[in-house]
Amino acid sequence: MRRRLSGWWWAALGAVGLPHDRWLSVPRLTRRAVKTAIWLGIGLALVAAFGVWKTAALAVAAVVALLVVPAWNRLPYGRFFVPLAVIGIVVAYPYYLGSLPQLPVFGPFPQISTMVVMMIFTMMALGLNFVVGYAGLLDLGYVAFYAMGAYMAGWFASNQFAKQHLNLGAVGLYPGWSGYHITIWLVLLMAGIATAIIGVLIGLPTLRLRGDYLAIVTLGFGEIMPQIARNGDNLFGTGFNLTNGTGGITPIDGPGFGNWAQAHLHLPANYLNASNFDSLYLWTSIVLVGITVFCSMRLRDSRVGRAWIAIREDETAAAAMGIPLMRTKTWAYATGAFFGGVAGAYYASYKSGAFPDDFFFNISVFILCMVILGGMGNIWGVIFGACFLAYLDREGLANVGAWINGHFHTNLNVPLYEFGIYGVIIVVVMLFRPEGLIPSQRRAAELHEGVHDDPLYEAETAGA
Amino acid sequence: MSATAEPLLKLDGVQTYYGSIQALKGISIEVHEGEIVTLIGANGAGKSTTLRSINGLNHPRHGTIRFRGRDITQTAAHDVVRMGIAQSPEGRKLFPRMTVVENLEMGAFQRKDRHALPEDMERVFTLFPRLAERRNQKAGTMSGGEQQMCAIGRALMARPTLLMLDEPSMGLAPIFVQRIFDTIVEVNKQGTSILLVEQNALMALEVANRGYVLETGKVAMADDAKALAQNDDVKRTYLGEI
Repeated sequence: MRRRLSGWWWAALGAVGLPHDRWLSVPRLTRRAVKTAIWLGIGLALVAAFGVWKTAALAVAAVVALLVVPAWNRLPYGRFFVPLAVIGIVVAYPYYLGSLPQLPVFGPFPQISTMVVMMIFTMMALGLNFVVGYAGLLDLGYVAFYAMGAYMAGWFASNQFAKQHLNLGAVGLYPGWSGYHITIWLVLLMAGIATAIIGVLIGLPTLRLRGDYLAIVTLGFGEIMPQIARNGDNLFGTGFNLTNGTGGITPIDGPGFGNWAQAHLHLPANYLNASNFDSLYLWTSIVLVGITVFCSMRLRDSRVGRAWIAIREDETAAAAMGIPLMRTKTWAYATGAFFGGVAGAYYASYKSGAFPDDFFFNISVFILCMVILGGMGNIWGVIFGACFLAYLDREGLANVGAWINGHFHTNLNVPLYEFGIYGVIIVVVMLFRPEGLIPSQRRAAELHEGVHDDPLYEAETAGA
Repeated sequence: MSATAEPLLKLDGVQTYYGSIQALKGISIEVHEGEIVTLIGANGAGKSTTLRSINGLNHPRHGTIRFRGRDITQTAAHDVVRMGIAQSPEGRKLFPRMTVVENLEMGAFQRKDRHALPEDMERVFTLFPRLAERRNQKAGTMSGGEQQMCAIGRALMARPTLLMLDEPSMGLAPIFVQRIFDTIVEVNKQGTSILLVEQNALMALEVANRGYVLETGKVAMADDAKALAQNDDVKRTYLGEI
C-alpha cells in the first residue's frame, strides 16, 4: 500500500513538473513540511467546497478504501473489486450528478453529455494506444479511422443513398425514408471491420518505414481522409454523392432495441425518443469502453502483445527471434483502427451526423496527447488522459476561464487557447515525466534509458 | 566428415548488397551436420553480412542458399527461424527491459510446442547456471558476459538445427570468453551444428572443425581448422604472430 501511495505522490510531483530525483535531493524536513502543507491545503479546500461534515465523510471513506483495498486484493477475484467499483460509480453517475456540489476552480461536475464524449474519446485513445503505446509506432493520422467509422454510420444508417431502400433492424425511421438503415449495433461492428481493413491497406505499404518517416506518411493519410469527405459529393467527377461534401451526412439513426425488446425486456426501443437520452448513450459507451479495455488487456498479455513489445524494444532482435515484423505491426495498426472506427461510428450516431470539419489534424494530435499525457502503454493512464483532456475540451477550460475572469476581473476567452494549453501541458509532461502521469513500468524504463533502434533494412557502414 | 549426401547448409556464389554497395562478392560455404564451422576475417570482410544473408535480414541478389535441401535464399526472416536456424546477433541485442526469462521466452516465439518450453529453459539454465540466478533480472542490467549467455540461451530456445553466433566474445572479459567457448562446444556435443563468426580467430579455430577466411566479401581460404591455425598467412594476419 505504501508503494502505491508513493506512486500517486510521484505522479502528483510529475504533474506540477518536479522530477522525483530532484525532489529527493531536498532536505527531509522541508519535504515533510511541504507534504504536510499540501495535505492541509487539500483538506481546507475540501472543507471550503463541501462543508465540514461531507469532508469528514469523504476522509473516512478514503481511509476505509485505502485500508480495505489491499485486503480485497488478496481475496479470490479481489482484483476485480476496484474496477467494478469504478464502473459502478460511473454507471450511477446520472443518478447522483444533481446532488454533487461545485468544485473549486473547475465548477460543476461534467454533464452527462460530456461524460459520453469522454467515454468515446477514451475508446479512441485506447485504440491509438495499441499503435503508439504497445507497438511503438507513431501515428499522426488516427483521425482518419475516426472519420471512416463516422462515415460508415453515415452510409449505412441514414437517408444518404436515396435510391436504395433497405431496413435491417433500424429504429425510429420516419415515413418516406430511403437509403440503407441498418441497426446501429451492426453498423458499429461493420465500421470497426471496414476501418480495420483500411488500416491494413494503409499499413502494408507504410509500416516498412520507421520512426519519423512513418509519422509523416500517417500524417498525410490523416489529411487525405477529410479532403475526400469534403469533396466526396461528386466523387472523381462521376456525379456520385458519397459523402455529401461540406454539408456532411445528417441525420444518422440512433441506437435502440425495438418495440419488442421494450415490451418484453424493458430495453429502450429508441434512444432518441427516451427521456434519459444522454444516460442511455453513457451506459452504452461504458459497455464499449469496457470491451475495449478487456481487449487491450488480453491482447497485451497475448503472443502478439509480446511481439509488439519486442518490436518496440529492439526491432532487429525481434526479427532475429522469428517475429514477423510486417504482420505484427499491421496487426497493431488494424486493431487500433478497429476501435477507432467503432468509436467514430458511435460518435456519429450520438451527434446524429458525420461532418468533414470534425476530422482535421488537430483531432489526431488531441488523441495522441491523451495517450502521451496519461502514459503510453498503460491502460489506466490512457483512460485518465482521455477523460481529462476530453473534459477540458468540452467543459473544463470554459469553467476555469469563467473562474479566472470572475476572480481577476479579466476578459479572457480561455477555450480559444485550447491547443496552446494542451501544447504547454505536453511540453511540461515531456520535460519532467516523459512516461506520462500513470506510466507502464516498461515504457518508463525505455524512455529514461533509450532503446536500440538501429535501421534494419538500410545500408550500414560498419561491421558488415 | 560424415558422408551425408547434402550439407546442412550450403551457400553457393552468394552476392549481397547494401543499397548499391556490394558486401558479398560470391560467397560459397558449407556447414555439415554436427560441425562447428567458423568464419574469420577482418572488419568489413563480410562475416556478419553472410549471417544476415542466411537468416533473411538481407536477401542476396545473386546466388543460392540451401538449408536441409530447401532453397531459403528469399525466405523471410521469421520463416528461417521456424525452419531451424537461430541466431545470437552481433552486439547481443537482448530486449533490455525484459527479464531473463522473458527474453528466453521470446526466443521460442516461433515454436508451436509450448508445453516443452520449461524443459528447454531448464536446459539453458543448466548450461548457464549464472542465468538461473538472474532469471528475474532485467536483461539490460546484467554484465556483458551474462548478456551474451542470455543471447545464446535465447537462440537455443528456438531448438535450432543450426545455431549462428555473431561475435560471441566481443567485449567480454577473458574468463567469460573461455566460458562462452566451452559452452559452444557443449551445445555442439548435444547435437546442434554451429556457424561461428569471430574476430578472436585463435579461440575460434581451436573449437571449430573447419574454417573459412573471408576477405573483402570473398572466401580467401577454406580448410580444416587445425590446418588454418598452422597456415602462415593466417598466423600473420589474424593470429598476431610474425
